[in-house]
Amino acid sequence: MECKIDLKAIELEHKQRRKRLFKTSFLNNYLVVAATIILIVIILLAIFAPLIAPHNPDQLNLSNSLKGISRENFFGTDRQGRDIFSRILFGARTTLLGAVFVVIISNVIGIPLGLISGYYGGKIDNLVMRMCDIILAFPALLLAFVIVAVFGRNFTNSVIALGVVYVPMIARLVRSVTLVEKEKIYVEAARAIGISDQSIIFKHILVNCTSPILIQVTIDMAYSVLDLAAMSFLGLGVQPPQADWGYMLSEGREYLMLSPNVTFAAGFSIMITVICFNLFSDGLQVFLDPQQRRV
Amino acid sequence: MTTFVIRRLVQIILVLMVVSVIIFSMAHLAPGDPALIMMGGKQSSPEVLENVRNKYHLNDPLIKQYTYWMTGVLRGDLGESYKMKQSVTDMIIGRLPLTIQLAAMSMFFTLLLAVPLGILAAVKKSTIVDHVATSLALVCLSSPVFLTGIMLILVFSYKLQWLPAFGIGNSVAENFKFMLLPSIALSLNMIALNMKMTRGSMIEIMDTQYIKTARSKGMPQNTVILKHGLKNAIIPILTVSSLQIGFLMVGTVLVEVTFGIGGLGSLIINAVKSSDYPVVQGTVLFMVTVFLLINLIVDILYAVIDPRIKY
Repeated sequence: MECKIDLKAIELEHKQRRKRLFKTSFLNNYLVVAATIILIVIILLAIFAPLIAPHNPDQLNLSNSLKGISRENFFGTDRQGRDIFSRILFGARTTLLGAVFVVIISNVIGIPLGLISGYYGGKIDNLVMRMCDIILAFPALLLAFVIVAVFGRNFTNSVIALGVVYVPMIARLVRSVTLVEKEKIYVEAARAIGISDQSIIFKHILVNCTSPILIQVTIDMAYSVLDLAAMSFLGLGVQPPQADWGYMLSEGREYLMLSPNVTFAAGFSIMITVICFNLFSDGLQVFLDPQQRRV
Repeated sequence: MTTFVIRRLVQIILVLMVVSVIIFSMAHLAPGDPALIMMGGKQSSPEVLENVRNKYHLNDPLIKQYTYWMTGVLRGDLGESYKMKQSVTDMIIGRLPLTIQLAAMSMFFTLLLAVPLGILAAVKKSTIVDHVATSLALVCLSSPVFLTGIMLILVFSYKLQWLPAFGIGNSVAENFKFMLLPSIALSLNMIALNMKMTRGSMIEIMDTQYIKTARSKGMPQNTVILKHGLKNAIIPILTVSSLQIGFLMVGTVLVEVTFGIGGLGSLIINAVKSSDYPVVQGTVLFMVTVFLLINLIVDILYAVIDPRIKY
């Protein structure tokens, strides 16, 4: 009986502590709040782009080329007379969807690899880590260039390529957390009562890896927005006429002198999105990892 | 130390062997007939195509082809470009100086500014100086290199007309002017990252007991910061240098494309776009080798600077 009451009290205190923590790390930090709100707005704009966009993003209208800012075209028009504001909205869809898939691919491959290699050690661990070494032997995006060169230059391939490039980071992170977790008493207890390795790994250890994984996911979102934009800018990702921020930048560069509207619109969209993801991940880090708060 | 270097060298050679197999097999995984790509998509008679295949050993078994390619690579011959009919090794050597210059100039700016700014922000923690520096760093970190480059072109070439936007110039002095904007664009990101890290580790170090001891025995502020603080704060920065070297190498690619500089980066991107596989294979293998060797050098330096590390 007493034990039950104690548990409740502990739970209550725990909840209150989390609430306090949430307040100090998130709510009291205006920047993080602002970033979160802007991120939500961007995501909503991307989801409802077809409803919000005032024009068809792919509608060519050469007589309307390079118009300035007006009530008709909030950000003006590009060289082909397309409405920049509508293209930015649809570009947000491409960018965010791409970034989400990059993160999903890298996590779906990386998390199990990290868990298994950290838990079992030995030969499997060696194999996984050497595979990571091979991927890490390519400086950053270079492997993505190679993959795209082989399988063709398009958006899907560049998303898959980036997903593969991000795998070692997440696998190594999960492995390092698993190495610490598997020595803890609860794993030993679980093993002692005969729980299978499989459920120890995926039910117990994985749960304790969530905080670092969540932080890594938000950081990776920022990176994949940047890297996807880079791929499209180089002409290896999104192919025209699909609307994308990175590709708009490379288009806009050609007539920068005549009208910088496309460049500004696409550039600031990328920058604001990445800044918000970075701030959000800083906030999350403080919230999930109290040790960080001292710095 | 010697055993460490030898072990790492062996490891690098093993990794390079696997990488070379991956890079070699890419041309054969790719859709499309290499012989057709070599003819530039022109309609050619089967005899001509067969001749091309024979000339480049395309009819031999894969392992034999790999041996041909690898023996060439080991002798410094990376094959011949499909499109330019030129030796890939010569193409790389011809374009390398520009890329090295670009990387060296941005490294110079980074080393010159990042650490001092980081120390400044750490020492003036939570003041206006710190806030301005950290916000600027966040903006720079969130702007892709090519966007920074385009913005610099817009401001310094088009509006102020101080510096040229595209090209590389004819004389040495002119060349420096042309390369200034690209290298600044490339370095801003790295300055921001290193400044942020210097600030973080500096703040942590300045809170330790030995700094307090140094202060309380009346050591001048500058000596405390530079001699006791910085020396220890610099170590975490070195640990992520591998990431930064990777960033620098891909950064040169992006900057070269943005500013129309004909270095290694634009070579590789053009080759990827035109499916010129020998050039892609050669440049990628070259860049991976350089990347691994620089990483090795950094690891050695790391052990020299921090004597606590024993390999």
